[in-house]
Amino acid sequence: MGVQISSEQAVRGAIQTYSKRVWRFGLSLSGASDVADDLLQSTCLRALERHHQVTSHDRLDSWLMTICRSIWLNEVRAQSVRKAQALSVTPEAELISVGPDSETNIFAAEVFTQVMQLPEAQRETVMLVFVEGYSYREAAALLDVPIGTIMSRLSNARQKLKNVMQHDAADAVRRSGK
Amino acid sequence: MKFSDETLRAYLEGNSDAVEAAAIEAAIETDPELEQRLMALDNFAPVVKAVFEDIPAEVPQVNLPEAKAEVVRSQSSGGPWRLLAVAASVAVLAVSATVWATRPQPMGWAEQAAIYQSLYTPDTIASLDNSPAALDAQFALAEAQLGRTLNRETLEALPGLELKRAQVLSFKGKPLIQVVFADDQGQPLAFCVIRQGEGAPAKDVKLAALSGLATATWAQDGYGYMLIGSNEQTDLNQELDILTTTFAG
Repeated sequence: MGVQISSEQAVRGAIQTYSKRVWRFGLSLSGASDVADDLLQSTCLRALERHHQVTSHDRLDSWLMTICRSIWLNEVRAQSVRKAQALSVTPEAELISVGPDSETNIFAAEVFTQVMQLPEAQRETVMLVFVEGYSYREAAALLDVPIGTIMSRLSNARQKLKNVMQHDAADAVRRSGK
Repeated sequence: MKFSDETLRAYLEGNSDAVEAAAIEAAIETDPELEQRLMALDNFAPVVKAVFEDIPAEVPQVNLPEAKAEVVRSQSSGGPWRLLAVAASVAVLAVSATVWATRPQPMGWAEQAAIYQSLYTPDTIASLDNSPAALDAQFALAEAQLGRTLNRETLEALPGLELKRAQVLSFKGKPLIQVVFADDQGQPLAFCVIRQGEGAPAKDVKLAALSGLATATWAQDGYGYMLIGSNEQTDLNQELDILTTTFAG
């Protein structure tokens, strides 16, 4: 048809396509699913207001993530952190769906908890690189830090996740009775 | 500087010394290829990804204001009706874009054949009449439809399989022949041939599990071939060797 889609349509499309991804990023920033809900909603409204700024329809995912992070840092973080200190930080392991294979679920819940207990900077980096598949340099651009910082955050995160992964492997061996 | 996979794995496991770690991190800054290699060796990423990729379970709800028909603003005439029409067309466009983006891939003949075959049980084929006379008639019909021989001697001689029936089916107007076998447990297997027409691309043997069944498909000289096992684990190699040689053009 040769119809050129407008920047507004492109942004609406990107919101549909990437809403889960933005929500997860919001979760990794805030550590709370209700805040992730709010962050996603604010991010999408802000993106729609700013659709005129979109010059290329490529990489609208990174653009949405950047908006999400800036809303978090500038508008939400201070109050959320205050709230979180009042409650104790309880990672929301119930987000892991309960399936028939409970051992897998226990492992998944442990990994989830460990990731959510990482410091915020490591958590957001793990989410972007490990879960969403951004390269180190893409994550560096998105978070506005050098590549070396991305790599050292990931190294630190791996050190902490190592325990749960090895622990689980040892458990599996013990359970199998060998 | 060249880093071996071992060196990179040691880095990822936190076992390289500070000098080496710094060297790798410095090299990555200017070497996207090294970056890709390192990322591919990282065993943590797939585990964490598997845990998080289904979170949230549902696509989260976002409330957005209605789409405005911005095209209208640049046009001076037309009035409210025109605006409404444009708004409607934008909405239709948005819906069709969504439908298009989420449309199911059209199913190929192999997927359809696998679904059909997955409905077969030992009972389906246990009582089939596979007397020579019955098979004579079925093969004559099938070969006439297909326009080529089905090499019945070869099919009858497949080790461990009993030839049960040749059936004429059709997929999008093309003749599709399904030849059913029983293995020594009476489990159904099938060999399918479809006439795709001259100029259809040749394809090498491809193994895949479709509808819970092990399958192998290939195509040559205008015909598509498919071997379907009785379950996802069926080893098709022996039959495949014979059939790919026999049905080579």
